[in-house]
Formats: sequence, C-alpha cells, structure tokens
Amino acid sequence: MKRSPSDIRLEKLLRSSKLAAGGFMGDDPRPPEEVIREDAACLERLGKTAAQIAERMRMLTEAASAALGSSVQLEGKFEVHCEEWKGGLICPWPHPGRFPKRLTVCRRLDTGREIVWSDLNIHLIEAHGFFEGKGASYRLEPEDLVRVLFD
Amino acid sequence: MVLEIIRDVLAVSTVAAFLTLVLILCEGMISNYGPCEVTLNGSRKETVQGGKSLLLSLQEKKIFIPSACGGRGTCGVCKVKVLEGGGPLLPTETPLLTQREQQASVRLSCQVKVRGPLAIEIPEEFFRMHQYRARCSRIEDLTYDMKRFTFELTEPETISFTAGQYVQLRCPPYKGSREEVSRAYSIASDPLENRRIDLIIRRVPKGICTTWCFEYLREGDPVSFTGPFGDFYLRDTQTPKLFIAGGSGLAPFVSILWQMKHAADGRQTVFFFGGNRMEDLCLLDEMKAFEQALPNFRFVPVVAKPASESRWSGQTGLVTEAVQRSFERLDGWEGYLCGGPGMIEAAMRVLRQMGIPDEKIYYDKFA
Amino acid sequence: MNGLGAEIWQAVVVCFAAVFTNNILLTTFLGMCPFTSVSREVRTAAGLGGAVVFVMTFTCLLNWMAYHWILVPLGLEFFRFILFIIIIAAFVQVVEMILDRFSPRLYQNLGIFLPLITVNCAILGASLFMVIREYSLIVTIGYGFGSGLGWLLAILAMAGIRQRFSESRVPAGLQGPGITLIIAGLMALAFIGFTGVLS
Repeated sequence: MKRSPSDIRLEKLLRSSKLAAGGFMGDDPRPPEEVIREDAACLERLGKTAAQIAERMRMLTEAASAALGSSVQLEGKFEVHCEEWKGGLICPWPHPGRFPKRLTVCRRLDTGREIVWSDLNIHLIEAHGFFEGKGASYRLEPEDLVRVLFD
Repeated sequence: MVLEIIRDVLAVSTVAAFLTLVLILCEGMISNYGPCEVTLNGSRKETVQGGKSLLLSLQEKKIFIPSACGGRGTCGVCKVKVLEGGGPLLPTETPLLTQREQQASVRLSCQVKVRGPLAIEIPEEFFRMHQYRARCSRIEDLTYDMKRFTFELTEPETISFTAGQYVQLRCPPYKGSREEVSRAYSIASDPLENRRIDLIIRRVPKGICTTWCFEYLREGDPVSFTGPFGDFYLRDTQTPKLFIAGGSGLAPFVSILWQMKHAADGRQTVFFFGGNRMEDLCLLDEMKAFEQALPNFRFVPVVAKPASESRWSGQTGLVTEAVQRSFERLDGWEGYLCGGPGMIEAAMRVLRQMGIPDEKIYYDKFA
Repeated sequence: MNGLGAEIWQAVVVCFAAVFTNNILLTTFLGMCPFTSVSREVRTAAGLGGAVVFVMTFTCLLNWMAYHWILVPLGLEFFRFILFIIIIAAFVQVVEMILDRFSPRLYQNLGIFLPLITVNCAILGASLFMVIREYSLIVTIGYGFGSGLGWLLAILAMAGIRQRFSESRVPAGLQGPGITLIIAGLMALAFIGFTGVLS
C-alpha cells in the first residue's frame, strides 16, 4: 500500500540512529503505524488509555525529579529515582519537541518489578501513542507499564 | 511501410525529446539559483552555490551554526538573523520562533533556502569556530560512570576557547549506530593549554555518543569535533561567585578554575559539587590544589546519601540544601550552574529565594 | 457562438457529474492507494487533494492536445498510454521546480505530494476516459477539473470520517484498510444517489 510521504519520512527517521542509539524501532519489521495500532489494541484489552499511563508516568517523574537523583518512596508501593544528563532528547515527529535527558527508574516495592523511562517516552506515549518498536532500547511494553503503574 | 514506421518512431521520439528538453531547460533556468552572495554581519562576504539550505551552505564555507537535529527543523537551535533575501517565514519555522524573534527577522537556517543574495547576522563567536581533528591520547576513569578524555589536536594544531565553552564531538557510525551524530560536551581543561582539550563525559545508558566514547574509543584513535560554542563563561565582575554542579557538570568549572588560577583571581568563590553517593564524586585532589592556589576559593563536595559505614564527614543531602545551610542570604552574588535540567531548575529556585536575581544566574544553555 | 455556449454548458454538466455521480474514486475505484493511506488526517488529505485537482486539470488538457494534435493525425492512438505517462511525469516535475522557486510556502504545503501523484492511476485514468468518451477540449477541462474536485471531496470526507472513528472501537481484523474500504463502499452508494440531479 502506498503511504504518505510524511509517514515514510517519519519511519526513516524512527529507524535511523540519528536521534537515539539504535533508533526507535529496534528490529521491529512492522511500520510505525502498525506498531502504534497494535499497542493501542493491547491497551484497550487492558482497559487503560495512553493518556492515563502518561499522566501516571509524569506524576512519578516529577515526584522523583524533586529529589535530585536520590530515591523517594511514593504511595507506599513505588520507589523512584531520576537520573539526569546534560543535553536533550528530540521527538522524531515533525513538531518542536525537545525533552531533558532524564531517566526515571521506577521499582515496585511489593513485586520488585522495575521499569525505566525517559521524558521522551512519556511524550511519545501521550502525544503519539508510540511505545517504540520491539527490540528498541527504550521500548516499553504496555502490559508491563500497566502492571507496574496501576496494579 | 518502412517510411511509416520510421515516421511513427520519429514522432514519438520527438515528443519525448521535446519533453526532456523542456525539463533540462527548466532545471537550468528555474532550479539553478547560480552563485549567491551571502553577506555576514554587514562585512564578510561569502559566495555559495544557491539551492541548498543556509545551514549547509555556511557549513561548506566552514562557518558552523550549532544545530542539534541536523537540519530537520525541530530543535530550533540553528537560529540566525536574516536581514535580506530570506523569503517568507515558512510554516515549519513559526512554531519554533517567538513573536519577538519573528519581528526581529530571526529564522531557522536549516529551513531558509539560499535563492539569491542574502544578508544575515550571526554571533561573532561563530567565526572563531572551526572543525578540529585530534587524537585521543588518554582515557582516564574518574568514577564508575565518568571518564576524562584527552584529545591532542592534530589539525589545526591549536585551539583558542573561553573557559566554560563546549565543543560538538562527532561520533562516527559504529555497531548499533548507523549514522554520524554529534553531541555537545564542555571543555574541562586549561584554556592556556591550547594544543589539547579534555572532556569529562558521564555515561548515558544506551546513549549513542557516550556508548561510543566508553566502549569503542581507544587511546590513539582519531576524533573530530567542532567548536568552541557557548556563552557560559566567568563574568568579569568583582562580585563573589557561587558555582553549583552535579555529575559531569563539573567539566566547565575545571576549565574556569584553571583560568582563575592563571589570573591569580582573588574574588570570593564557592563551588558546591553534588553527587548521590561518595562514588559519584571525583577530582577531589585537583580541587584541593585549586583551593591552595586560590586563597578565596572553597570547594564543597556534597553527598546526598553517604553509605552508613563510610567515613564521609562532609556535607550531606541535596546540593541545594547544602547551599541553604552554608549561607543566610546571597545578595550581591553571581550564580553559575551546570548540570541536568532538574538540578538547574531546583538551584535557580533556591538562588532566587536567597537574593540572586535571574539575570545574575548563568547556566549552560545546551543542558 | 451558440456552439461554444452549448459546449461550456456541457463542460459544466460533465464537471458536476465527475464530482458527484461519476466520481472517479468512488465509481471506478481509481486512486485507491493514496485514498486509503493518506486519509488519516484532514490536513494532509486536503494537501494531497489540492495537488490532485491541479495536476488532473492540467494533465487532461495537455494530454488532450497531445492526443488530438499529434497522435490522431499520425494514426498513433495506440501510443497514448506511453505518451500520457511521459507527459504527466514531465508536467509534475516542472510544476515542482516552479513551485519550489517561486512559492516556497505553497511548495511546503503541496510540493511533497506532487511526486506521489505522478504514479497515481486516477490521473492517467482521467486522461484515458476523456479520450474514450470523446470529449472536446473545453469539456475536457471541465472533466479534468471535476474529477480532481471529486477526488478531493471523497478523500476529505474519508479523512473526516476516519478522524472521528479513531475514537471508536473497530473490530481488530477490520482496522486500517479494511474499514476504510467498507466506508468507501458506503460512500460510493451515497454518491450514486446524486444520479439524475442534473440532467
């Protein structure tokens, strides 16, 4: 099927390693539209929306960021801390979007499950419903996210 | 019969040839912008081949405008003032320019195409910027995730930079990264030592450029970078100065302290350096040496969470808390910050409360 | 004079028919490819549609001239496929260059779609139909413009609908192109309902 030039350009950029090491697609052969569609379907099965997930991630990142790198406990079940580097991460979609190079490490105290996300991850999920391609360094599985953030 | 075939073939060929001719003519007349003269800051003139973006055209003339996204029009870093000949503002630019910038005819140089004579204005420091080739002569572990890289310049052989500036290091393609990218790192060496530069780099998990530096770059390897960039430098005022850094934010201050040492700087200066654990701190000996050389300089390392069994006797908690503990007010001081955006934000808040106005707080823009 | 007036009237009728009852996209299903893939957003759909209107009008005109003034006198009608394609490709190239030079703003909005259109079957289809239906020069202009407009209308409507139903639940197997084709079918039925409005 023919795809719009902007879609093709976007996929090229997502697969290149210009913005992030190894790109955003990993070794996922599917086009980004399909990745987004399938993750959206997965979220629907789990009964959550991308907006809810992003909001929760942002809340945790903001709480952890205030501690300047040391870890904080939240809601009695999370232990989160942020790490920061100089520089920024740029959203591959064609709009201005530059995010601090900051990773949030979130660990569940009860299950020990841990996930790590960047500020760009939050934006990609919130604005584009994009959890990155399978095999990408910062791919977040919707199921893991829901399990850690909401259970 | 034969004649008819020849006539038919000729007819169709003529039409095709005619169309080709039209295309070639169009290409030559419409798409050929010819040599275009770009006037820089009213004085310097450069002649470039039209048809390409201003960013690329200037690059060919060895004038490097900093750009983070590589001409995609998303980072908004490559802003220049286009006084004449820039054409209308494009829809790709408007979201990245403030109202005031639009009125001041600021444009994104990656989006402006050179179509004719142009008059532009760029900061003078861009002329001092060059592309350098160097050899990585030493790699030294500072902490478990920080290394100091020493680059001996090969071409040109010397660099002149202001303490506090940064360079854009080029990271060549390697396994896991198929394209060349460049990333900014502050220079952490003596500005008088103009034959080499040091960079202090903290590892970013799965980061493109730091992974290359930490795992692929070996002593003796060639490297290249452009620079120097940035307006983070020590202001020439008599007021006391407060430095705050976290992680690899230490780098520009090392360079600044060298500069102060050479000038036998007598201004009161306090440097707070924060780390999470004791293992995050580094260069403590060098800082001690600076303290001895500069009578009014004090170095205050701060550890957020020292392990209970350690013999840490210095300040604990957040670096901002240490500042608050050490001073009542900071009226009349200047603040210099370098670190991640969260640290800068938090430090700005604290310094503001303690009496330093925003315009007296300087921080590295690329953070 | 009367003949010219009648021809213009016929052009208007053909144009109207090409927009609604004989919509090139919905009745002949030409140009389906970009129709299904570039109809996710109204804005991009409008850009592509605008480019189609422009290219279709002018290529129909150019191809009519090439056909009636070069191919027919020489008895080379069978060459029309090749010739039409060359002309369309050359035309799009030239337009792209002109836009880039003289109207950067328009180029930003329309330019990126031009190369996509070169290989669009609806463009070639319109030129071939105008030959089969033996339209005159003026009617051809009306037909080309109307076909383009019809295509624009259809893709705009589709983009609007798809933007709406991005919120709704579509069975997994039908997501994407599947549901798009079903909607296209329903839209075709609706458009055929215009038959007889202008006769």
